[in-house]
Amino acid sequence: MIRLRGIKLVWAASFLVSIALLLLPFVFKLDGKTHADWQQFLGRFHPLVVHLPIGLILLVPLLELAGKYRPAMLEAAMFVLSLSVLSCLLALVLGYLLAYGSGDAGAGVARHMWGGIALTIGVLACALLRGASGGPRGFYPYMLVCVLVLLAWTAHQGGSLNHGNNYLTEYLPAPLKRLGVGTVRAEASAFPDSFYAKHIHPIFDANCVVCHGAQKVKGGLRLDTYDRAMRGGEDGAVIIPEKPERSILLQRITLPPDHKKFMPSEGKPPLKPEEIAWIQAWILQGASPEMKSLAGIYVHEEEALPQVPDYSGKMKEIEQTARSAGVTLVPVSRNLGDGLILNTVDAGQKFGDAQLAGLVRFAPYIVEAQLGRTSVTDGCFPTLAKFTHLRALHLEETAVTGAGLSSLTQLPQLSYLNLSGTQVTEAAIAPLKTMKNMRHLYLYNTPAERQQP
Amino acid sequence: MKQHPLCTDPDHGPTIMDLPIAEGLKTEWAELQTRRHFFGRAGKMLGWAAMASLSGERIFTGDAHAANVVPSAQSVRLPHFAPKAKRAIYLFMSGGPPQMDLLDYKPNLAQLYDKDVPDSVRGAQQLTGMTAGQARFPIAPSHWAFKQYGKTGTWVSDLLPYTARMVDDLTIIKSTNTEAINHEPAIMLLNTGNMNSGKPCLGAWLSYGLGSMNDNLPTFVVLLSKTNPKENNQPVSSRLWSSGFLSSEYAGVAMRSSGDPVLYLSDPKGVNRDVRRKMLDAVNEINRQTSQELGDPETNSRISQYEMAYRMQTSVPELTDTSREPQSTWDLYGPDAKEPGTYAYNCLMARRMAERGVRFIQVYKRGWDVHADVTGMLPVLCQETDRATYALVTDLKRRGLLDDTLVIWGGEFGRTVYSQGGLTPENYGRDHHPRCFTTWMAGGGVRPGITFGETDDYSYNVVKDPVPVRDFNATVLHCLGIDHNKLTYKFQGLDQKLTGTTPASVVTNLLA
Repeated sequence: MIRLRGIKLVWAASFLVSIALLLLPFVFKLDGKTHADWQQFLGRFHPLVVHLPIGLILLVPLLELAGKYRPAMLEAAMFVLSLSVLSCLLALVLGYLLAYGSGDAGAGVARHMWGGIALTIGVLACALLRGASGGPRGFYPYMLVCVLVLLAWTAHQGGSLNHGNNYLTEYLPAPLKRLGVGTVRAEASAFPDSFYAKHIHPIFDANCVVCHGAQKVKGGLRLDTYDRAMRGGEDGAVIIPEKPERSILLQRITLPPDHKKFMPSEGKPPLKPEEIAWIQAWILQGASPEMKSLAGIYVHEEEALPQVPDYSGKMKEIEQTARSAGVTLVPVSRNLGDGLILNTVDAGQKFGDAQLAGLVRFAPYIVEAQLGRTSVTDGCFPTLAKFTHLRALHLEETAVTGAGLSSLTQLPQLSYLNLSGTQVTEAAIAPLKTMKNMRHLYLYNTPAERQQP
Repeated sequence: MKQHPLCTDPDHGPTIMDLPIAEGLKTEWAELQTRRHFFGRAGKMLGWAAMASLSGERIFTGDAHAANVVPSAQSVRLPHFAPKAKRAIYLFMSGGPPQMDLLDYKPNLAQLYDKDVPDSVRGAQQLTGMTAGQARFPIAPSHWAFKQYGKTGTWVSDLLPYTARMVDDLTIIKSTNTEAINHEPAIMLLNTGNMNSGKPCLGAWLSYGLGSMNDNLPTFVVLLSKTNPKENNQPVSSRLWSSGFLSSEYAGVAMRSSGDPVLYLSDPKGVNRDVRRKMLDAVNEINRQTSQELGDPETNSRISQYEMAYRMQTSVPELTDTSREPQSTWDLYGPDAKEPGTYAYNCLMARRMAERGVRFIQVYKRGWDVHADVTGMLPVLCQETDRATYALVTDLKRRGLLDDTLVIWGGEFGRTVYSQGGLTPENYGRDHHPRCFTTWMAGGGVRPGITFGETDDYSYNVVKDPVPVRDFNATVLHCLGIDHNKLTYKFQGLDQKLTGTTPASVVTNLLA
């Protein structure tokens, strides 16, 4: 009879605790404002304590399974489960103090919080069910599985708050990424070519958004989109167009790094001087979402080269063919996709149309053909038309006159053509003018050059 | 005992080099062999052998090269990324050109004539022994007027009328700075990344990393210009084009300014090419035997150098035969270019080498060390160099070579705004000044028509965007497709690199 009443009492108490936990977020709202320092002080033990329930809860199913062979383990399971309940409660309270004290808010914080509350109630229920059934029987094992799933999800939410949303998937192998694992970054700006989208937003994204984004909204400030960045936080706007000196964002990132208000906070690396200069110039010049470039600011961008088909399996064959022709086929870089350069400097006059034709099976891999000072003639053009990935073609000091030069218009990527010291005429090069990518055409010491006005 | 299948002579069995095993094992063997040789083959004694293997490092051999077997360019796998420039031409103005008389325009100095450089500007800087004792540091404004040129409106001194024509093609760096205040350490620092000699220079690193583009000429050539005895010529030595701890095949080949460009290249009287060939074959055979016996990689370097010299017997005369240059070449470079050994001639040679697959060409022009008589000497120096420098860039440009050739112009440091020795309205001298100097680049990989970095009103300190030597060199390597942090060579327990151990960075603002 006493035992029964005892059990009823435990159930009643558990019920009350659960209700209290569920009401907590409504009584002490996470309003994004900072509160008492002692709350933050205690709250910062949350990341430490939180690993206690994780370990304990994971231990429970192991003990239950081991109990099949050693019954003493079953007793231990109940003990560990009870400890899990206590540690969950402790972690939850500390976590709440952390969020409430330091003014955290946002969807990620909310998810983590509700996960923690549900998990605590779940663990509590597990303990009650196991107590009632006296062992791993009845509804308890199912409840335990649910708790484990919930644990994984909640822990992941917590991790994402600290490390950013794509922390786990950032270095995911590319094939898996293509399968759609991992998150696709939301478009931050309506103008993908703007200076903001290309250079400012990535700075915010890499340095600020962990705490000032959708997942965590410190100080009510979000920097994950242009509009939200301009809206500012609880102290008002942080970016004031044309007024960098009054923009709180710039002030905070340019404080001495050991200053209490320095951003990024908590020992994260400061922004690079270059990045600060960009932000400053961007604000000074209007903090526009669409402006494509800023006066006085140059950002170097490597343009991506078109890639050639994979030839890594043919390296030996390519080398042998090249050697027998007295030439070299050199990779542009260690990234083989950048293609090969045909270098004929040693072959000189021994290299002609026939030798070029002998290399045609490697044509798609060759991006630059240095045929200057060789004995190629106008007969090389039909062959060259098959070099579909050619970007640069040297024909200087050769016997070409330009007849058949028009077949080069079939080379979509050709941007450099050197005809210096040849006999090409103005008429012969006329068809090249339709080529969209042709940027460097050299006609020094040719009839064509002399014919030009 | 069963005989090894490759073994035909029981006394002289197969060497490791003959075996079909990984190249790495062979080099390791070669390394061991060198040590073994040092012990005079007493290595057969167990104790010596054990000691030799325990010593691990080269502490007994002393010879830096001996134990280092350099992997080929193929196994280094460079460039790291697609380069904008395939080759570079470095016009080295040895002595230290005065930046404020050439490209770093300081209009306000005119009013400060003979006033002292404020202490706040000089700071606690240590000066050279040549001016440290001066009672005063009177400001010497430039003797020459400056005008704006090009679409960019760049200010250029009247001393450089030709350079002025190409300012829109140049990437001018006014904030280059160095730590060394005297010639030898400063010129070593610029060339090798270290003030002490013994490190490989830029050209050697490029040869080592990128390999050769041709069979008949060296990868790295140094052209020494004739000196003008009236000028204050500081010595340049082969330390500046040394391969340091890299194999000697990566060192620069210096061409002389008079007589045969390469000594002993032409056959002596009574020796024809066939005899020379036979002699070379015999020497090579002996060298090969030595190499097999001792495994010293430097022997192999020697074989390849002899072979290169033999091929250069035909390639160098072709290179230096300018009879087929069109008249437009002479119109551009001027009459000096016809006289071998002049700076102008060397600039023309640099272009011809660029066309023939030489990776790195360094032209030295000495005499910029103008401690005194600036107004007398600078016009001479500029007259000797300005037109040819312009001609080289222009020639490369019209022939379509500038797109993938990086041209670099600069000295080892700058010069002081204050006068060394007496200052008169007509003349002044300038001492060494490491805190700022002006250099420029043009061509493949760099952004044309910009001026980068700023100096203060006295051209004394850098006030914006400093470019230390290590960053300068990192940027040059970047243009050639090399990540300066990845082109390393383990020596003396350190992954050595051109940019040294102080963190360096590529100046991305200079890049096209």
